[in-house]
Amino acid sequence: MEEKLLNDDFLRQLINVGEVDILVGLPTHNNCKTIAPIVRAIQTGALKFFPRERVAIINADGGSQDGTPDLVAGAAIDDLRNESKVYALRTLHCVSTQYARAPEPGTALRTILAAADLLRARACVVISPDATTMEPEWMQRLARPVYAESFDLVSPIYQRPKFEGALMRNLLYPMTRAIYGYRVYEPYASEFAISGRLATDFLNKEFWNDEWGRTGAEMFLTTTALTGQYRVSQAFLGMKAPTTRNAGDVVAAMRRTVGALFSSLDENFAIWSAVSGSQPVPTIGAPSEAAAEPVRISRKRLRDMFATGVSELQPVFSSILAPSTLSDLDRIATLELQDFNYPAELWAKTVFEFAAAYHNSVINRDHIIQAMVPLYRGRSLTFFQESRNGNGNDIEANVEALCGEFERLKTYLLERWSDGK
Amino acid sequence: MTLRPATGRQFSFARTQLPLKREPGWYKEAVIYQVHVRTFFDSNGDGIGDFQGLAQKLDYVQELGVSAIWLMPFFPSPLRDDGYDIADYRSVHPSYGTLDDFKAFLSDAHERGIRVIIEMVANHTSDQHPWFVESRSSTDNPKRDWYVWSDTDAKYRETRIIFIDTELSNWAWDPVSKSYYWHRFFSHQPDLNYDNPAVREEMWNIMKFWLELGVDGFRLDAVPYLIEREGTNCENLPETHEVIRELRRKVDEQFPGAMLLAEANQWPADLRPYFGNGDEFHMAFHFPLMPRMFMGLRLEDRKPITEILQQTPEIPAGCQWCLFLRNHDELTLEMVTDVERDYMYDIYATDKTMRLNLGIRRRLAPLLDNDRRRIELMNGMLMSLPGTPIIYYGDEIGMGDNVYLGDRNGVRTPMQWSGGWNGGFSTADPERLYSPAILNPVYGFQAVNVLSQRRTGHSLLSWMKNLLHMRRSYPVFGSGSIEFLFPANHRVLAYIRQLGKETILVVNNLSSAAQAVELDLRRYKGNILIEMSGRNVFPRIGDLPYLLTMGPYQFYWFRLRRI
Repeated sequence: MEEKLLNDDFLRQLINVGEVDILVGLPTHNNCKTIAPIVRAIQTGALKFFPRERVAIINADGGSQDGTPDLVAGAAIDDLRNESKVYALRTLHCVSTQYARAPEPGTALRTILAAADLLRARACVVISPDATTMEPEWMQRLARPVYAESFDLVSPIYQRPKFEGALMRNLLYPMTRAIYGYRVYEPYASEFAISGRLATDFLNKEFWNDEWGRTGAEMFLTTTALTGQYRVSQAFLGMKAPTTRNAGDVVAAMRRTVGALFSSLDENFAIWSAVSGSQPVPTIGAPSEAAAEPVRISRKRLRDMFATGVSELQPVFSSILAPSTLSDLDRIATLELQDFNYPAELWAKTVFEFAAAYHNSVINRDHIIQAMVPLYRGRSLTFFQESRNGNGNDIEANVEALCGEFERLKTYLLERWSDGK
Repeated sequence: MTLRPATGRQFSFARTQLPLKREPGWYKEAVIYQVHVRTFFDSNGDGIGDFQGLAQKLDYVQELGVSAIWLMPFFPSPLRDDGYDIADYRSVHPSYGTLDDFKAFLSDAHERGIRVIIEMVANHTSDQHPWFVESRSSTDNPKRDWYVWSDTDAKYRETRIIFIDTELSNWAWDPVSKSYYWHRFFSHQPDLNYDNPAVREEMWNIMKFWLELGVDGFRLDAVPYLIEREGTNCENLPETHEVIRELRRKVDEQFPGAMLLAEANQWPADLRPYFGNGDEFHMAFHFPLMPRMFMGLRLEDRKPITEILQQTPEIPAGCQWCLFLRNHDELTLEMVTDVERDYMYDIYATDKTMRLNLGIRRRLAPLLDNDRRRIELMNGMLMSLPGTPIIYYGDEIGMGDNVYLGDRNGVRTPMQWSGGWNGGFSTADPERLYSPAILNPVYGFQAVNVLSQRRTGHSLLSWMKNLLHMRRSYPVFGSGSIEFLFPANHRVLAYIRQLGKETILVVNNLSSAAQAVELDLRRYKGNILIEMSGRNVFPRIGDLPYLLTMGPYQFYWFRLRRI
């Protein structure tokens, strides 16, 4: 028997919520330390910017043991409960459900989208439980373009600390832009808004029980919007809080994001192979002026991890990379820290060779993604070194140059794609 | 109840009570019909409704099922504020007939068991009233101190202006006596000075005059404003309550059973003192509830309604709230927040000509897009929430309005009796009518009238009669307690009315879509539900939440019975 996505208790709660204009999805798992101010910001934003609209907060929880769902439920405003004593024209429901499986971002998103579909939400805003810098204005910036201007996807643009977002700036953004032809700065977003139409269409995709459906759905959401008949925009949100990570997190993040992006290429070849160059998407708001404190980076560690990876993964790389690329990487691995440079052109070629190898499944696809991790660390090191003395504009100029390389080398990807390697 | 044909009347009904006694508390279970003599029926063909005409239509009023009539001012007046500018408190405006006509009408109404409530515009008079003419004539005239005069317009600066669309100040310059007089409403309505014992005595004598004729009660107009004091907003002052207590004491002593109804457009907490310890008003309008009923309906959310009712304080046992959907004034939005007012304007008064002062000058049916289901739901709530309901004349047949008439005249057009000449209101030439009748194809008298609605059992009029019959059959609606159920579905407003052994469950779906709702009725486990309009039995209440499915804008009244 097919497993039910929405349990009966959740369904009963959704019946009580009824049709909504804006649904705010909040995926959580043991987020009691961060969730309360986020929920307050959502509530404040909803009441301030959408006082007449029917708004509901839907919390898809992965089995928290720390009382997170109760903290979310406390934001409800009705004729019995209004703990924050704020004024509201109408009822604000906060509904929490524990989805059936273990914590998985894709399953949480699927639960939220299923609720949006059932409640016929015109706009669905998803907010990460790590969005500790969230301001009430985010609600307006994300939801308004969908709710009032008929956009289908609003992707965020963050003000990031200096060395944050390396994966986004060095791989996800340049490659997505080169492949699909649209300049979406955060193709794998943790905060975004989508239309009811896109939510329903995306919910009906077949991939939810696959690995990427469970872990990389946000990436697929962006590629779905870019390849379908959907209107995409971006909104400046402001500061994105840095996240603390360990080495294992990078591997998992690469799997979720790069794996999903590579995987999307198979399905959409007919579309992206016909695209050249890139075009901007409508962008709402203005970048924040606030400067962020740079995060601390151990450059030596990055260099060592890169060199070790290049050394230890030679057999793997030889089945993925072109000999000239591998040769260049060997050379770079010998450079001292102060001379280290993994240039944009070589990095773009590397990524495309990995993408082609992924398409052709030259080895186990998960191994391909894992093998890419030390090379990404090397590119990150170059990114940090290039950014070290520059300001935000310098960083953006570097990213723009990298994107130019990705776009220029797209024909190279097409060659590799059809080479069977 | 016997139906028989009668000359000039469609139906005639047996007289019920002779004479009608002033029983204490009669108003608690009453249903009041608000009517203006001028608007109802013209007996002499001069284009203006009159008391003889009203008397001729009493059978209709009785047939409708109401138990009291509230008459708008019918006194001699320049009619610059539709009679709320009185020039003689002891007589009848000649357009409406004579004092004898009034007495005959009163007698006929009482014969049918219908009580009569009249207006007591106590706060102010017309500037044509002989008292004011005398008062302004010289500063040493004996009547000078009957009004509030000042050499400066700087006094009482903290007092708000009520008619913000027409008045710039609460003071008006009198060129005759070369000083300022105080007026809370139009400048042609000078406020009486209730600090003057002679004024208080004279106003009591006027009330006594009408009570001796047999009227059953007064609606006291604009009561919060009787007294002025520097440094205050001149509303709800303790001295005003002293005036009211004095009047109430005299009423109780000399005319027990007569009723005083306060018109005080205030928040519930500010209204509560007008009941005093049961020694001020018997009833008061619940102004803040009315706009929130409209708001809740459009938001499809019970929150505005339950919140204001939860803020409504308990009132003494002998007292009662007066509830209404529409009346002769604009749908007042004074007792709402700015956000709520903007919402109401945008939803219910998209055309700015519909807006007046802080309100919306529209009738019930047009406000609700002539949606029969919404009209029924709103009337259902009106009849089942705690209080005495008032029906504004014409709303029982779904009459429309004319927003192109000035002031609030658009909701004071002639009653629509038939599809014939002038809608059956008058035999005068249409040009002679006090106000043009509604003529448009949707709300005009050819589409909406009593005669045609009497002929069908499913008309709004027939439905209203059934509703009123149900309401009046169960004293619990007038005198019972209320307890809200707060089901998780916010689109459903559910409450229990209880009086003695009678328990009634009311469930209202405020949504335009069908709804499922689970009600926690475990306290009533073992009872069955009997739907009151069809008398159908619903399943017995058990331990589980009681599941109801409801159509769009549907409402249920259930009797709970343990069988």
